[in-house]
Formats: sequence, C-alpha cells, structure tokens
Amino acid sequence: MEHLDLLRAWIPGRLDDFLFYLLAVMAIPMALGVLFDRTIIRSGFLLIGVFGSICGLFLVLQAQFLALAQLMIYAVGITLVVVIALMLTNPKLEKEAQPGTAHQQLGSFLVAGALFFTIYCALRSESWPLSSEAVSPDVQTIGMALTTTYALPFEFASVLLLAALVGAIMLAKAERAISDKEEPSKEAGEQNQPATLFERDTTVSSTRR
Amino acid sequence: MIANAAEIRKFTILSWGWLTIIFGLVWAVSWLVGVAIPLLLANVQADWARLVTEICQVLTPLVAVMVFIPINAMFMVLAERRALALFTVRKGPNRVGPDGFLQTLADALKLLFKEDITPRGADAFMFTLAPIIFFAPSIFGALPLLAAVTNNHNLFQVVNLPTGIFYVLAVSSVPVVGIVMGGWASNNKYSLVGALRSAAQAISYEIPLVLSIITVCLMAGTLDVVKIAEMQKGGLLNWNILGGGALSGLNKYFQALAAGQADAHQMLSQYYPDWGSVIATVVLIACTVLLVGIYLTGACAEINRIPFDLPEAESELVSGYNTEYSGIKFAIFFLAEFTNLFIVSTIATVMFLGGGDCPLPDWLNPLTNPAVTQPVGKFFSFFTDRIHLIDPSTFFPAIWVIIKVYALVFFAILVRGTLPRFRIDQLMAFGWKRLVPLSLIIFVLVTFAKGAVRLHV
Repeated sequence: MEHLDLLRAWIPGRLDDFLFYLLAVMAIPMALGVLFDRTIIRSGFLLIGVFGSICGLFLVLQAQFLALAQLMIYAVGITLVVVIALMLTNPKLEKEAQPGTAHQQLGSFLVAGALFFTIYCALRSESWPLSSEAVSPDVQTIGMALTTTYALPFEFASVLLLAALVGAIMLAKAERAISDKEEPSKEAGEQNQPATLFERDTTVSSTRR
Repeated sequence: MIANAAEIRKFTILSWGWLTIIFGLVWAVSWLVGVAIPLLLANVQADWARLVTEICQVLTPLVAVMVFIPINAMFMVLAERRALALFTVRKGPNRVGPDGFLQTLADALKLLFKEDITPRGADAFMFTLAPIIFFAPSIFGALPLLAAVTNNHNLFQVVNLPTGIFYVLAVSSVPVVGIVMGGWASNNKYSLVGALRSAAQAISYEIPLVLSIITVCLMAGTLDVVKIAEMQKGGLLNWNILGGGALSGLNKYFQALAAGQADAHQMLSQYYPDWGSVIATVVLIACTVLLVGIYLTGACAEINRIPFDLPEAESELVSGYNTEYSGIKFAIFFLAEFTNLFIVSTIATVMFLGGGDCPLPDWLNPLTNPAVTQPVGKFFSFFTDRIHLIDPSTFFPAIWVIIKVYALVFFAILVRGTLPRFRIDQLMAFGWKRLVPLSLIIFVLVTFAKGAVRLHV
C-alpha cells in the first residue's frame, strides 16, 4: 500500500474504510441473492461471489493467508461440491420451492434465532482491541497457533471432516446397493463410485428439459 | 539423417521467430511504461509527475502480462499444431504468411469478427460471465511468478507476496468455477456433462498437485516464490528436482576440487557426516523426482490437457463445456487454456527447475566470470546504464526461464501427441488410488529425510 500514498489524498476518508464499504456493497446484495434467487444453481454461484468478497475483506485486514485459504477452500472447493450435489440430487431444477409447513417454519425460526443469539453474544462479550500495528503475514504464526493454542479445535475439525468423508462413502454405497437390486449388471462388483456418479449425471441432464 | 529434418528446421525457425517477437514486445512495453516514462518525467517537479511515475511503475507488471498473454497464446497454438504435425509426419499449417507464420494471427482475427451467439434457453448473464471468470485468474495468478522469473527486478518486486505460491495455487483453482458456470448456462447436456467432469477432475487432481507443491515448500521452509527461486541458485545440483538442495554439499565439494583445494575431502565428510545423511540424500532425490512427475500429472489434469481432457472429449461430448460458445467468448476460453499451460510450466520451472538459474554451476559458468563479462559488458553500457533497456541481472535469468518453460510446454505437446485419453473411471481411480497416497507417502518421507541432511547449505 505504500505505493498509493498519492492516491490516498484523493479519496475522502481512509482507504481501508473505502475498500471495506466497497466490498460490503458487493457482498450484501449477493448474499440476499443467495436467499431469494429462484434458480438454485444461480444462488450457488452467487455464494461463490459472497465468499470472494469476504476474501477481499480479509485482504483489507491484511490477513493474506486467511484470505487465500478462504478463496481456495470455501469459494471454490465447497461451493463447487454444493453445486454438483444440487445438480445430481435435484432433477427438477426449475421447480418452485414449496412453502414449508408451520412446524418446519417454527423449527427453522428457532434454529436461526439461536444462531443469531450465539453470534450476538460472541460479538458483544469479547473485547475487540483495535490496533494499527500490521499483523505479520507470516504463515509460521498461524502454524504455531494451530498446533499449540488451538490444537484441540483443530483436531475437532479434522474429526468432523473424517465423519463427513465416512458419511459420503456410506451414502454412495447405499445408492449402489439399490441400483444393483434393480438391474444387476455383470460388472457391478467392479463399478466404483465415480462411474455410477457420472452415469446418474447423464440421466439427470436428460430429464432436465 | 532424420526423414523430416527440413520440417524440424522450419519449426525451429518459426519458434525462435515468434519467441523473439513475443519477448521483444513484452520487454519493450515494460521498458516504455516502467523506465522510459519515469525517466522522461524525472526532471519535472510537480505532483502529477510523481503520481504518473508511481502509477506507471505499479502498472508495469500488469501491462507486461496483458501484452504477453494474447501473443503467447497465438504462438503456443501454432507451435502445438506444427509440433503435432512433426510427431505424426505431416506438414501442419503452412499457407498463411511465410511458412504458416501468421496462421494463428489470422485465426484470432477471424474469431474476433465471428457472430457471438447465445443459445436459446441459455442463462445469458452467466453465459457471458463464464469466460471472464475462466480467464481473469490467469492474469492475476501469474503475477507473483513474475517477480521470481525476473530475478526480483525492482519493477516487479511489487507483485511478490509473502504467501506467493499459495496465492498462485488459490487463484488458479478458480477457473473451474468458470467451466461449471459456462457448462450449466449453455443449456446443453453435452456442456453440462463436460462441466461436471471438469469439476470432479479438478477437485481430485488438485490434491496431489497441492501436496507436491507443499512438499517443496516444506523443504524450502517458505512460501515465497522469490526466496524459493533464490535458494536454488548455483547450478543443476542445487535445483529442487535433485533432492531439494540436498546435493548442494556435493556442489561445494566439486567446486573445491576444481579449485584444487587440498581439504576437499574433509568438506565432503563435513556435509555428509554419516551413512544416515547419504541415505537421506538418496531418498530425497528419489522423492523430488517423483514429485515433479506428480506435479506435472496433476497440472495436466488441472488444465485439461490431453491425457486428461475428458471435459472436452470430442468423440463423446462434441466439444464439452465450450460446445455452445462462438466468436470472442470461445476465443477467451481458448486463450485462457493456453495461458494456463504456460503458467503451470512456469510454476514447475520456479519450484523445481531452479527458476532463472543457469544449469552450469557458477565456477564453470563463463557468464558469471568477471574476466569475461567486464570487457563484453562495456559494449552494452549504453543500453544498461544510460537508457536502462537491459538489466543484466534480469536478462540472463529471463532467458533461462524462457528456455525451461518452453521446454516444458514442448513436453506437454509431446505427451499430447503420444498418450491416449483416459476413461472417466480410470481417471478417478488413478487420481485417488495412486496419486493421492503416493504424494502423501512422499510428504512423510521428505519430512523425516529432511531432518538427517542439510538442505541448501
């Protein structure tokens, strides 16, 4: 940023603030779009945009590594998996969403309220000291923190991911057992998960229209 | 005598001609924006002059990349067609311009003037956005590498990041979003299947790719591409492809031997004190050679090159995710594909092949010998000192980078001419059952072997 000294004089207020509001203006409408867009795939792609803007926010806060991890893992990896899962599981993509029953709406209201309350408490209870000092962008700092102070949450995250992996395999296995019963093919034993995935995917795209 | 020696000669002339044009132009533009304009404004004592100077210097890397990408893609398409013709003993495109020299320029012009069609039922906005998302990362992703390949030139230092290689990897994983978006928005089942294949493939092959790069970073102890390139200076034995710096003790020993020092043998026992360190060195060399293989395989799959080009398998899917594209949008997809090939070759060069380092060690290399360079350098002092057109500390590394990168590109073309296409289940099985475990094993091996020997002494 030291190269922008002269530009800075032309922009009212601090450059950081300006960038923050720019990114917020990008992120919030896209987040609303994720909620309100009728086409589910479109909202998936909008989610990538939201994650991209949040990556920009991390960059403004000089957390380079965090921003890049956000881009690599959330913006690309997870959202793509979401998009693919949507494509493979929901053949009628353009179907209008049914309004939920009263029970469902109450449940989601309760969950959303509890989540909001938790986040609100977390935001208000901690003190958030401001500092103009630049954070060292060193990966070493993050690595040390992850393996010493935050070792336990780190391990929890890895256990969660392992559970997700095992769950994914179980789901895929169950799917194959059903299709095997319906039409026993001669090389059913050799078929592995990706092959079945892509067979299904062609059927999905042919029933799309 | 080789049967098609005449064709090989023509191909060589064509390549050198194009390369001279490309890099001459990039060099000239970077000099104009980064050096000439600031030099002209150096005597003007005004605020706007300082502002223009700063903006020019900050924009130099971006301008260089923007000039480079389209011309380079034109050259690479032509080189690929001619080289494939060589491998299959044909002639290749040879009508437009002298010996087919301008073929791709004509192709590019034709593509620009073609009608831009949006298919009925397509999502028009996302149909337009997809090529942009596919192409933009190849501009931004290459920037930190620019500092590494120019030996950290003053003008290109701006683009270097402390998280260098991680940035490159993160940004170069974005294009798959563009492919999925384009495939879905086309409203065509072939496009959709191509896009889904591409997503599955990119996610699975990104893991071995990233693991191989991480292993190199582990050996180097940094993510900074400039530092990684600088560590490997001093000849072939220092490069990461040969043990990640485990052989640099041997390099020192040879240097002492060549200088006729009596205590050279002592040096050897100082760098490799026991059998453990020798074994660790051998393990590291085996690991790094395998790592290069894993990286190149993963990179090939990541950019959909031929043994892994299932997203656009023309025998099954017409043209895959870009079936419905025409005109300028198709040109952008095409441009980005070839630029990505160039970028992954550059990453391989910087991470494994020593960046801008001469394969000869310093003590054998006449170019670093002051007795040779001093008298020759005087002839060029007008260019180096007066108008700063050539900076010797950047010029020679840049030449080496160009040679190495295009050698890797040629290798990719050779692979394309040689290997058949994978089937989708073979592709997945190969990625998950072979490459991922292999790269994890190498990672663990390197972690232990690294402790027993001193790297980059």
